[in-house]
Amino acid sequence: MKRVPCSGCSLLCDDIIVRSDGIFIDEVIGACIKGKEHFDQVIAKNRITNPTFRADHTLKKIDWNQAYIKAIELIKKAKKPLLYGFSTASCEAQLKGIQLAEKINGHIDSNSSICQGKIIEKSKSVGLTLTTIGEVINKVDLIILWGANPAESIPRLLNKALFSRGKFRMTGREIKTLIIIDPVQSASFGVMGVRDLSLLIEPNKDIDLIRVLKEECCATDSIPSEGVAGIDKDDLKRLLLHLTGAEYGVIVVGQGLLKPTGDSDTLQEFLELIEMINSRQKKGRISLIMMGGHYNMAGFDHVALANYGQSGSLNFINNQLEETETNTIDKMNNEDFDLSIIVGTDPISHLPANLSSKLMKHPIIVIDNKKSATGDVADLFLPSAITGIECGGLSYRLDHIPIELQKIIDSPNNIPSDEVILSEILKRLTDGGP
Amino acid sequence: MEFTLNTIRKVDNDQAREFAFGDDKSLKEKLAIVILNPEDIKQLNVKPGSIVKIYNDTGFVNVKIIQDKKVPLKMAMMPVSIWSNQLTRVINNDLVYKNIEIKIEADDEPILDYKSILQKIKEGS
Amino acid sequence: MDLYNFLPKTNCKKCNPKTCMAFALALLQGKVKIEDCPPLLEPKYKKQYDTLKEMIGSEEGQEKELQINVDTDLCDGCGICVTVCPVNARYCPPTLSGKVPDYPPDTHQLFQVKKGICELLNIKYCRRIEAEGRERECRVCETYCPREAIKIEYV
Repeated sequence: MKRVPCSGCSLLCDDIIVRSDGIFIDEVIGACIKGKEHFDQVIAKNRITNPTFRADHTLKKIDWNQAYIKAIELIKKAKKPLLYGFSTASCEAQLKGIQLAEKINGHIDSNSSICQGKIIEKSKSVGLTLTTIGEVINKVDLIILWGANPAESIPRLLNKALFSRGKFRMTGREIKTLIIIDPVQSASFGVMGVRDLSLLIEPNKDIDLIRVLKEECCATDSIPSEGVAGIDKDDLKRLLLHLTGAEYGVIVVGQGLLKPTGDSDTLQEFLELIEMINSRQKKGRISLIMMGGHYNMAGFDHVALANYGQSGSLNFINNQLEETETNTIDKMNNEDFDLSIIVGTDPISHLPANLSSKLMKHPIIVIDNKKSATGDVADLFLPSAITGIECGGLSYRLDHIPIELQKIIDSPNNIPSDEVILSEILKRLTDGGP
Repeated sequence: MEFTLNTIRKVDNDQAREFAFGDDKSLKEKLAIVILNPEDIKQLNVKPGSIVKIYNDTGFVNVKIIQDKKVPLKMAMMPVSIWSNQLTRVINNDLVYKNIEIKIEADDEPILDYKSILQKIKEGS
Repeated sequence: MDLYNFLPKTNCKKCNPKTCMAFALALLQGKVKIEDCPPLLEPKYKKQYDTLKEMIGSEEGQEKELQINVDTDLCDGCGICVTVCPVNARYCPPTLSGKVPDYPPDTHQLFQVKKGICELLNIKYCRRIEAEGRERECRVCETYCPREAIKIEYV
């Protein structure tokens, strides 16, 4: 009986109780349904435990030595490899991936460039106020969910943020206010109470709301009488009162705000609004929490920044880091690559279909611990161990706090971890020969 | 009829879960769906459980209807999957998954299963 | 509390529970009969008397037991019921900051999340059975479940 961190989603709850004898996992207590499915991946019926190679439309099982030889063959033929994924790999594996990209003159990027990384990119010019989950538990009295639906994607976030009785908020739910800004009445509306505020905004009109709030901060009485973006005047006044009067407010930002359409720069104006409110406050402040999907999405930027001095995507030419304007989506769209190495993610299921078609035109190497659509069409599939259950490693939570994951049981068939596979490929390339 | 499409995540309709624990049939049942308001379903002259064709400039796909009265009018919601990604697009080097303009009409063609849709992506559209 | 709407709401103290709200609860649990409220037998409250008779029906007078049902298809293991239950908050300190309580569970612990789904351990120490006064009407687990998977019933 010990408490281990769960690597099911990016909240990385570290209070899960697991009963195991080192060979099987008997019982998991405290994890939500996403965590339980993550622990069940060990015995998933579709799990692949041998490397496979596709040649002439047939799938062949091969042993690990042959698999490494085939990987080196494919890599040596390529002049512009593309490495993508890395958000379900530990920080040690991410470092090995960047070193591999440096060796083979590749372009490496992680999933965070289409998710959290966009806010971090914009914040370089405006500034960013982040907070940690521990501070939220102890001090928060206002929570705003903007374009986020944690009840469906991170189930325990509302539990920890809203219902806990922290040191300075011992009464718990009754003195915390919840505001949800969303065009659809989602499952997160189920925790609303009498004093909470729900704003059903019109789709794609967040920029209008942000602009009105910015004007109102500077001057008074500039709220239009017919409201804005489907929200009426009284609700707007209440929202502004809460924003400027809260002692410790937190805005949870989800995909609804990160992916708007149109020409305006919603994220830039949103960050400017937060800075404006914070600079006019006498004693309170508003911070941000960014939701993410996979558990180590925030780690790639830290590893790249600490070791290579640059966050986001890295492009290597002549074994050196080069500044470039093109991002990963641009490279995929223009077919500016001839081999893709995908680690721990499934781009064919998540990217738009025309990008997936372009990915499929060139060889694909997949390193993953579960069956996926990309794995089904890959030329070479290398299974890996599940980080957090079958091997350990460092990983960063959604509020950028490092958490050490632990090994609980051995992997079936002695499958190696991501870090071991990438360092073996790097070693064989450096030493030369097959 | 014209609609706006939003791709969302739902705990019960999760692609990763069906890949790991299910098979091709359960994958198609749980993920090739679209959620509409009952009023809109009446206006389209279809019933819940029947098949519709959704299309726009990027592509088209056939899916099954599920009704939910919490969805606003003229909005369609689909869980993130291979089927819904036939309609999402790239604008200005940025991926667009929300507020996409689409048209929906009733149709008779069957829903493509997993292997056929992978083949369709491979051939390019 | 639909039954409360049909009572005199005067708190005249002529019945045993002594307040109309507590009388409504006792009526739901089958501990008292409609006739135990003397003002209801007067002609001016005849309509309320008839409506109450219809609502209670033939199960009047039978002692009813409290049941808390968790729908396993709807529950997603978020653990809000574990954190918000006042009995859990008193006897299991980790739940104060939203964490998982210790295992094996304390005898007073009501809810536990196991295998990704919430389960009820024992109902003996629930506030609706043990407490006095306003605490007896505790319904926080049912109110705050985001998927409405918990139902409190008297059977």
